[in-house]
Formats: sequence, structure tokens, C-alpha cells
Amino acid sequence: MIEFINLKKIYEPNDIVLDDVTFEIKKGEFVSLVGLSGAGKSTLMKILTKEEKPTSGKIIVDGIDIDTIEGNEVPYYRRNIGTVYQDFKLLSNKTAYENVAFAMEVSGATKEDVEKDVPQILSIVGLGDKLNSFPSQLSGGEKQRLAIARALIHRPKILLADEPTGNLDLVNSYDVVKLLLKINKLGTTVVLATHDTNIVNTIGRRVVSMEKGRIIKDQLENGRYII
Amino acid sequence: MFLTFKTVIKAGWTNFKRNSYLSVAATGVMSLALILFLGLLSLQFLTSQVVYSLEGKVDISAYFKTDTSDEQILKIQSDLKARADVVSVEYVSRDQALSDFKARHAQDPLIQESLSQLDDNPLAASLNIKTQNSSQYASITQFLENSKFKDAIDKINFYENRDVIDRIGKLSNSIKTWGLTATLLLALIAVLVTFNTVRLTIYNQKQEIEIMRLVGASNWHIRGPYLAEGGFYGLFASIAAVAVFYPLIYLVSDKISNFLESVNLLAYFVNGIGEVVLMTASLGILLGVASSFIAIRKHLKI
Repeated sequence: MIEFINLKKIYEPNDIVLDDVTFEIKKGEFVSLVGLSGAGKSTLMKILTKEEKPTSGKIIVDGIDIDTIEGNEVPYYRRNIGTVYQDFKLLSNKTAYENVAFAMEVSGATKEDVEKDVPQILSIVGLGDKLNSFPSQLSGGEKQRLAIARALIHRPKILLADEPTGNLDLVNSYDVVKLLLKINKLGTTVVLATHDTNIVNTIGRRVVSMEKGRIIKDQLENGRYII
Repeated sequence: MFLTFKTVIKAGWTNFKRNSYLSVAATGVMSLALILFLGLLSLQFLTSQVVYSLEGKVDISAYFKTDTSDEQILKIQSDLKARADVVSVEYVSRDQALSDFKARHAQDPLIQESLSQLDDNPLAASLNIKTQNSSQYASITQFLENSKFKDAIDKINFYENRDVIDRIGKLSNSIKTWGLTATLLLALIAVLVTFNTVRLTIYNQKQEIEIMRLVGASNWHIRGPYLAEGGFYGLFASIAAVAVFYPLIYLVSDKISNFLESVNLLAYFVNGIGEVVLMTASLGILLGVASSFIAIRKHLKI
């Protein structure tokens, strides 16, 4: 589903962020991408969403070299990939409902679709009773679940979660991970970038370890994060 | 597509409203530029009217020596009337000239007194010749100078009027040049202010923009609202400009008609109100959208 081939990213003059990264993620997999801050996890995700360009190498998604996707097609490509971040990226002046609705509206969804899908998605992530709450009225875990709900509006094939538990306490972190596992079970490929050892070790799925821009370990099953 | 357009316009309208003070500044400067532009239009109309009426008034006055007989002059008059390019030839006899002169200076006792002390009528008889257009004056002059009566003609007065027309032309050209420069300068400032306002909106909405990119909003969806916002500045600026300009014209029109009877500035602009509004609005919207476009190009990464 996703192939990284000899991916290299160098920030001028010679800050090597990704160094010859090659690996493949299969459809329906749950992959934890682990490593210390600065290992290159986020850069890898940014290149995958076409926010950054690799210095060399390529990424094939669903058989398409993403470097061939032109400027106006990028938004449509991005609709296949849901993204979740540590800082939630929610609009504080909009309610939970409006945050998700906004994302649908700007992608050209009709009013009927919005009214039908938003409550549904919010109830999937367990926020069915918080439609009218503003982000400031939600707990950290709820905020992240709201962000996940927003990431799911286009029914993406891939969900990227970049340190989604970074701002959460242990209980909320487990909630979020459980939700990610549930989404994965429904068929979405999930890539979770994190440096939280506890979380990774309880998931027990594939773990790809990175260090200084290189892949140093790739445990296909029941992986653990060992520093 | 229509739905998208509606959403984009709505978002642009919200941006416009939320920027309240900045919107007023951007709209204000732009409407100043537009008012100046409308001022230039009225100037253009006025000068063309003045020149037109002056050209109609220009005539050749051929003054005859005081010893020329009426018969001679009438002969010349009929010769001139026979020409195809001559519209009219008016004979002003010496007596007529004197009474006209007296009437013109009736308020001036000094002139009246000087005239009464003269024994003889000092004024010459003349023929006032009007042609179809001003370019034919040269050939008429030539005709008179080459005619058998040339000895009877004292002087032919025509170049003086030409001078007035030339002077008005030059004056209006220089006013136009300066007016245009000022309009362009103000338009540039309007573009800069609008650009800056849109840029601030973009900065204020960094988060929204980031989220839009994140969820795959199309480029048009992300950029459109800012273009619409710029368009709204232009639209409201043109409405303000027209709202200020027409009362001004109403106030000034009468005063101008006092000087130039045939010119009715108000009627001209009232008759053409559709075109004026359309042109001002298009110009304003164009300026606004162009400013937004520059801001987007510089500050909105997709």
C-alpha cells in the first residue's frame, strides 16, 4: 500500500533528516513508528502528505508515485490520508460538531451529507453527546478523539497519527490508542508515530524503529520499543 | 460548483465583516481612488464640451478699411456665401459695430466719454464667417487674401481664437496628466492597503488554512474567500465613491452651467448612471481582487 524507496531528506546545508529509508506498509496494517525526537518520524509523515518534498527517493501509494501528483490534485490525494497531531489542531471558536462540519464543507460536501455524517462520525469516536461543546470544554482525550473524527470524514484509506498521545495522560492515551485500533479493525491502515514506550509495548503490532533518520529495526509482529 | 461558489463568497463576506476597522480603511482609500477617477471622467467631459462649443464659436472676422464701401463688402459676402464650406457670413457695418461697442461698455463712463469726444466712428466694418469645421478656416483666409478685394481688407482675425482653443487643450492635458498620476498613485496605495488587510486576514486564519490543507480542501476553497474578500472591498469602495460623487456633481453642476451655458454635467452623469456604476464597480472589484491575488501569492502556501 505504501512503499518508501531510498527516501532521503537533507535540509541545507547538510542536516540529514532521513537517510535512505526503505520499507513497505501493507494494506490494513497497524504500524508504530518509534524513535526519539528528531529521528525523522514527522518528516516521513510530512513527505507522505506532500507537505514536504524528499531530496531523493520516492514514495509509492496504491501504485502511484506521489511525486507525479500535480498541485491541484494534491487536495484530492490528501483526502485519502487522515492526519492527527499532538496539538489537535482544532478551531477553538467552533463546537465539536462545527469543527468536523467545517472540514467537510471546505472539501465541498453538501449540507445534507454534513448533517448526516457528522453526528455519525462523532458517535463512532464516543463524542455523540458532546456535539455542542467547544474544544475548551473537552478533556485532552476528547479533543484528540474529535481530531480523529475529523480525520475520518473522507473515509481515508490511511490514518497518520503523529504523537497523538503526546499531550495526554496515561488513561486518555490508552483511550486514543484503543480508538486507533478500532479504526484499524474497520480496515483503515494506521501509522502511529510516537516515542511513548508504554503505549507501543501494549499494542503488540508491527514496530519500525528509527534513529537519526535511519530505520534501525523493523519488528513485523508483536514489536516492542526498546531505547 | 454553484454550492462551492456560494460557500466561498459567504466566507469572503465573513472575512470582510470581521475586519471592521481595517475594512473601512481599505474601502476608504480605494473609494478615494475611484472618486478621483470619476473626477477625471467629468474633467474629460467638460474639456471636450468647452472645446466643442469654442470650436463652434470660432469664426473668421475680416475687418475692412474704413473707406471701403458697403457694396464692396456685400459683394465679398455673397462670394463667400457661394462657397460650400461656409455656413454663414454675417455683415457688421461700422455703425452696427459702434452701437455694439457702446452697448458692451455701457457701464464704463470713461469709454463712453472718450467715444463722445471722437468726431468719427473709429471702428471698422467686418464680416463674421462661420465654417463647417475649424480646419476650413485656413482655406477661407487664403481665399480672402487672394481675392480682388484684398486691398480693402485691413486684417483677418482668426489665429487668436485658435490660441484660446490650444491653450484650453494644453491646460486640460496637463490637468489630465496630473489627475491621472494622482489617480494611479492613489490606486497603488489602495492596492497596498487592501493587500495588507488581506494579508492580516491570512495571518489571523493560519490555523483554519492549515486545517483546510490537512483535510484536503481544494485550492479554490482555500484561496477563494480571500479573493472574494478583496472583491468586497472593491465593491463597497465603488458604492461609496458613487454615493459621494453624485451629490458633488449635483452641487457643482449649476455653478459650471453659469460659466458654460450649454454644459450640463449633472444630466450627462445622470443619463449615464448605469455605465458609471458598472464601470466604477468593475474597476473597484478588479483592484480588490488583484490586491488579494498578490497577497495570496506571497503569503498563502498551498
